[in-house]
Amino acid sequence: MSILILGGLALAFSGFAATSITMDRHYADIHGRGKEASRATRLRLRTLGWTGLALSFMACIGASGWHIGPVLWCGILSLAAWSVTLLLRYHPRKVMQGAWIGLPAALLTAALLLR
Amino acid sequence: MKEGLRQSMAWVHTWSGLLVCWLLLLVFMGGTAAYYKHEITFWMKPELHQAADAPSRVTPAESATLAVRELQQRAPNANAWYLDLPHERNPLIYASWTNPPRKGMTREERRAAFRTQNFTLDPMTGEKTAAPRDTRGGEFLYRLHFDLYYMSAIWGRWIVGVASMCMLVAIVSGVITHKRIFKDFFTFRPKKGQRSWLDAHNASAVLALPFHLMITYTGIVTLMFMYMPAPTKALYGAEQNTMFSEVFPNAERVKPAKEFAPLADVAPMLVQAERAWGAAPSRVVVINPNDAHARIELHRPAGQQLSNIEPTMTFDGASGALLSGPKAMSASLDARAAIYGLHVAHFADPLLRALFFMCGLAGTAMVATGALLWGVKERQKYAKVLAKGGKVGFGVRLVDALNIGAIAGLPIAFAAYFWANRLLPVEMAARTNAEANVFFIAWGLAALLAQIRPTRAMWRVQLMLGAVLMAGIPVLNAITTDTHLGVPLFGGPGLRPVAAFDLVVLALGLLLGWAAWWLGRKANKQAAAGQPANRAQSAPLEAA
Repeated sequence: MSILILGGLALAFSGFAATSITMDRHYADIHGRGKEASRATRLRLRTLGWTGLALSFMACIGASGWHIGPVLWCGILSLAAWSVTLLLRYHPRKVMQGAWIGLPAALLTAALLLR
Repeated sequence: MKEGLRQSMAWVHTWSGLLVCWLLLLVFMGGTAAYYKHEITFWMKPELHQAADAPSRVTPAESATLAVRELQQRAPNANAWYLDLPHERNPLIYASWTNPPRKGMTREERRAAFRTQNFTLDPMTGEKTAAPRDTRGGEFLYRLHFDLYYMSAIWGRWIVGVASMCMLVAIVSGVITHKRIFKDFFTFRPKKGQRSWLDAHNASAVLALPFHLMITYTGIVTLMFMYMPAPTKALYGAEQNTMFSEVFPNAERVKPAKEFAPLADVAPMLVQAERAWGAAPSRVVVINPNDAHARIELHRPAGQQLSNIEPTMTFDGASGALLSGPKAMSASLDARAAIYGLHVAHFADPLLRALFFMCGLAGTAMVATGALLWGVKERQKYAKVLAKGGKVGFGVRLVDALNIGAIAGLPIAFAAYFWANRLLPVEMAARTNAEANVFFIAWGLAALLAQIRPTRAMWRVQLMLGAVLMAGIPVLNAITTDTHLGVPLFGGPGLRPVAAFDLVVLALGLLLGWAAWWLGRKANKQAAAGQPANRAQSAPLEAA
């Protein structure tokens, strides 16, 4: 079960990371002053981000059930959000790279949930 | 309305927060520590460490049999026996009992008697462990966070209740008044003075908002029968206890038959419960032992549901027959139990418990940064006065001093409490009270010194003192007990709570030390930049 929780944490991080790097301030931090994400990029990353968060919810439910899973998810969301916040401040490019962890985590979570 | 909603909410947010923030710091710190109250109590009773070192190899049924045998010798005529069996967070067998109260006994006397009616068994050998020192351990911190101290629990609960309502108002108005809640969601900009404090306040509040809302609301609900007595009064009049026994399962007590009947063997009951639940009962309650009306209640361990009311199985103590499985609860009671359960988080496994602890620390940080922010903002109004060498107003000085006393002073008090546990003589009379007194003497001194000189130097001194006391706890533990950090880290799992406690206070000590160092570096920078501001009135925390 702890693998599912780790998957959920990775997905939450990735989801927040994908959402955050389209935001004006953080996009400019990564790509240079005055740059803005294109509409298509924004839409794509936001969709991916929300999908990641939704999958992370499912991972928590899979790990701890409908009673305790949602509580676990809230805690994991907070942890992931703080990580993204600190990383955006000190190593903004790492957020972009780190967001990729969502892909293997999504595959792993889906495999464990559908098993 | 002349002002917009947002401006008026800013006012509500500021004042509902500021008025109660120092009390809330105590509540948040005590409550956060209470997530680990069993572990703290265990750390504070080093006499039990040796017995817990080896992992328990007896089954729950055998543990219960051992304890019942001991209770038959020591308290055969008790009203009730209570047994806590070994499980994940509890390596030992704890047994206690209540005697029929003698006529004319006061509540206090009964409580004092109850505190002596217990023993601890080593599940490996079935022998009694060494008698632990007299301490309330984590229970003191848990009670402190809603009963306060040096006053009746009722007063304490009303005061904490009012503070919690203010907190709920502050949270809701804070969300409304936050202009850029989504745009600034992931934003933290250090070294920018007021901006940075606001960012830190937002990050600690918004990113754990579900926790903060939940813990404040559920905290109020746990005491709802006290805060909102009108419905009960309307339905039951003065007979509030009738309501409790009608509404809550297991609250009704069977009257003894006053007729001897030997107690049935508990072991098969535990086996039956374990088969039904897939988990061995963690608690056994025997009502009217050795009486024809004896009842044996087995409680399922926490961890499968949010509700704090775990299902029970009740057996007839004389015949050993199963009387009833779990009583069905009404939907509204179930909802309340889940709300209550969310607050106390007994269901949480180690990971989830750590997340709760982390969110509790975030709540502490939210209150602390909010309190500091007020001082930083208000001080700007005095910029011109200060430049001429004048003084800040009374309000700013008072808030600065209270901030030092609470934010830097409370960690000193917590650390002093743990130091007192190890250093006060074990045989001392009224030892539990002495430990609590040390907590409040340390806090009182810190708060008083802060009122006398609310300066940046005072911040540094108190933060540093807190750091040394906190980080010194593992050293103190190594000197005064046999369970230094190395033993539990490489030994059996029973002593892991001791190691975890040492590591957490060490980390908190390092954090306080870092804060003191950071303040010192800023002071040096300002001095180097040629701003030798009036020492007594220099902005204690404004970023350089």
